[in-house]
Amino acid sequence: MLPATADIERILAGIDGVQIAEEILGTVARVELAFVPDALGALKAAGYESLVDFDGTDTGEAIEITYRLRSYAADREVFVKATVAYGGTIESVWFDYPSALMPERETAELFGIHLAGHPNPKRLLTSDGVEPLLRKDVLIRTVEEVKAR
Amino acid sequence: MSDICEETLGVGLLCEGQHDPGTPPAGLRRAPSGVDGLTTEHLIINMGPQHPSTHGVLRMIVEVDGEEIVAAEVSVGYLHRGIEKLAEHRRYDAVGTLMDRGDYVSGMMGELAFALAAEQLMDVEVPRKAHWLRSLASELNRLASHLVWYGTFGLDTGAMGQFLYAMREREALLDILEALSGQRMMFNYIRPGGVVADMPTGLAEKIRTFLSTFDMYLDEYDQLLGGNEIFQARVKGIGVIDRQMALAFGLTGANLRAAGVDFDIRKARPYAAYPELDFEVPLGSTGDAWDRYTVRMAEMRQSARMISQLIDGMPEGEHTAKVPRIIRPKAGEVYASVESSRGETGIHLLSDGTEHPYRMHYRGPSLYAAQALEEILPGHLIADVVMIIGSTDIMLGELDR
Repeated sequence: MLPATADIERILAGIDGVQIAEEILGTVARVELAFVPDALGALKAAGYESLVDFDGTDTGEAIEITYRLRSYAADREVFVKATVAYGGTIESVWFDYPSALMPERETAELFGIHLAGHPNPKRLLTSDGVEPLLRKDVLIRTVEEVKAR
Repeated sequence: MSDICEETLGVGLLCEGQHDPGTPPAGLRRAPSGVDGLTTEHLIINMGPQHPSTHGVLRMIVEVDGEEIVAAEVSVGYLHRGIEKLAEHRRYDAVGTLMDRGDYVSGMMGELAFALAAEQLMDVEVPRKAHWLRSLASELNRLASHLVWYGTFGLDTGAMGQFLYAMREREALLDILEALSGQRMMFNYIRPGGVVADMPTGLAEKIRTFLSTFDMYLDEYDQLLGGNEIFQARVKGIGVIDRQMALAFGLTGANLRAAGVDFDIRKARPYAAYPELDFEVPLGSTGDAWDRYTVRMAEMRQSARMISQLIDGMPEGEHTAKVPRIIRPKAGEVYASVESSRGETGIHLLSDGTEHPYRMHYRGPSLYAAQALEEILPGHLIADVVMIIGSTDIMLGELDR
């Protein structure tokens, strides 16, 4: 796989506040949340035609979302990251990347964030009323239960 | 539809907003069928989650016009166990038990994906023998998994006998995997640093005995199912996932390669012993259910070929690196992918330097194949649904996690 930094810098040149770095993870483009649809649209147009993964992480201060895009023709991959506040809203990118349909629903329910522009913004894995399980403040055992073990 | 009312045979006037059987309703696709001019009321039916041909607990909500599907929705989550959350409470050497229960038909590949991710953050050099044992375990497991797919795919078409033959071969493979790992399905064999145990004495011979007849049996099985005209008539041309759709829906594995996209993680991002092995990546052309069948059958031949090379060339040495009893990888964020039986299994791992993963995301290929079903099912008949689901080889354990 070829490093994609120079490629990504050129593609995302017109978008404000983009930070691109080579990390252990791979080529990572950090984008402001509001510009995520623009950034992904630009990457799609540039040949990053497949979104192969989408997930989130509770950093303790906010939710960091990660899109993993792949260009089969150029054999390159890029991770696009953005930060959304607890209870915040992310714009669905299903129109550019239909593969985001279910992962977005999953991430929204498991991190307690909202989806805008999604054609079917229902819960995917859990029932109504279940807490956002992957948030760090949601414990699968209470402190008392852990101490009693 | 025009804004004027048209007179239609048997129905009277059809006006805007009413369903006209000759043209698809907005937003829905319909295959041309014998339009007789009669409107029919759409029916919404549930398939699953206890339907025998949904390969676990998949629920499909399909809207049908007669026998023809006009819209489909995939409803999942019936097997959600919170593997990603549980992983945050496991030590690194114990996460493999969770991965086994993700894609429970090919647990070795899940374990390997996690081990590869963790090792990127550990100061460890995996011995060459461990790489070879990992590839051996993966390919044996791929065969066992593909045989389940082959057997159940035949059942979906109404073929009963070949399922028993597939299970016979699979039993032999599970015996081999049990001798290797101590378990038939929940292996917990591949761990960060290497594998749990070396090959026991006599296992290589047992695998050679298995391989000595496997290719012959596989040809028979291919004839039994693929050579059956009824089977061919039922799978050829249905469930077409072309290149564009496969990329749009993030498909990987045989579902992607059946559309002609030459991408296999074992070749494109080599790991374990795959750079040292000689194998080919089978490709399809049109991406229909038949292509997915032929690609998987060819993959089994390649796996058998690799197992033979792995047995013959198994290096000497340690089966694991020296790994601390409690693994504390350095802080960081990594991603590791492997080619599992169903496609790309990926692990997105964040470590904060403690003995538990801070966050582990498990990318299962079945999720992406399942959501593509919503796009490909409309226009097919109800009887084709189970065939198309079977051809995509989805596994609900890794879909729901």
